[in-house]
Amino acid sequence: MDIVAILQSKPVLIGLHLGFGIIGIDAFLWLLGKLKGDGGSRKSIVITAAIGVTAFIASWLAGGYYYVAYYGTLVKPIIKSGVAPWVHNIIMETKEHIFLFIIPLAMTVLFITLLEREDLDRLKLRRLALWLAGTVAVLGLLIGAMGFIISATVRWGAIN
Amino acid sequence: MNKPKLIISSAYAAILTIIFVVVITIWAELSVPLKDWLKNFSGHHWTSKSIFSVLLYAIATIVLYLSPHKYRNDRLKKTLVSLLVFTILGTVILTLFFTGHHFKLF
Repeated sequence: MDIVAILQSKPVLIGLHLGFGIIGIDAFLWLLGKLKGDGGSRKSIVITAAIGVTAFIASWLAGGYYYVAYYGTLVKPIIKSGVAPWVHNIIMETKEHIFLFIIPLAMTVLFITLLEREDLDRLKLRRLALWLAGTVAVLGLLIGAMGFIISATVRWGAIN
Repeated sequence: MNKPKLIISSAYAAILTIIFVVVITIWAELSVPLKDWLKNFSGHHWTSKSIFSVLLYAIATIVLYLSPHKYRNDRLKKTLVSLLVFTILGTVILTLFFTGHHFKLF
């Protein structure tokens, strides 16, 4: 089995989707702390935001490949024929679409971090930057919780 | 680089992208021909929505940034507040739509 085949396997794709998602959430929570405490250099703040954006893009690509290649044929039928078909109809449908909000939102936060500390305060953007970074993290956590519900439903659907 | 203009351009583009995702998603759920067109475009309706949303965000950000229009600084704050509001609204609208769709309310 070559490296491409390993990367395209279902458990690895799910792991990459989740792992990069966690890194993205953690980066934006870390950014939140840096912006609130006014700690760290501007360079470290930009790098933290850039790590978050990159991780969310990687999570999107891994999760998107899994969703398109495997979810519809292997996972969705188990959920739809199980005890909780609403998990696909409501949770999965909502999750896959609100994920599309994250990258533009996270990119906007990254651009805010490019401002000098004095400009951030002069333009009175610090509080808004906190809210936006927090919203990215909360959206990521919400999507993570939805993913957990979907995975749990498949496990119990398969058992039932 | 004009950083405030880059931020406001990105925020407007993000708002446009959120509106696009919400509208195309609901519209495609209610219109079989549109959903089929999205499926045929890339092989999967979600992939097509992803491609269009990325292109829309990138192109809108670049066009707005390069446009000669000048923004006042207070506009920047208002636009970022709008982005927050649209993100929350988009999330609530999609959740309510798929809930209502599941229960066949529409």
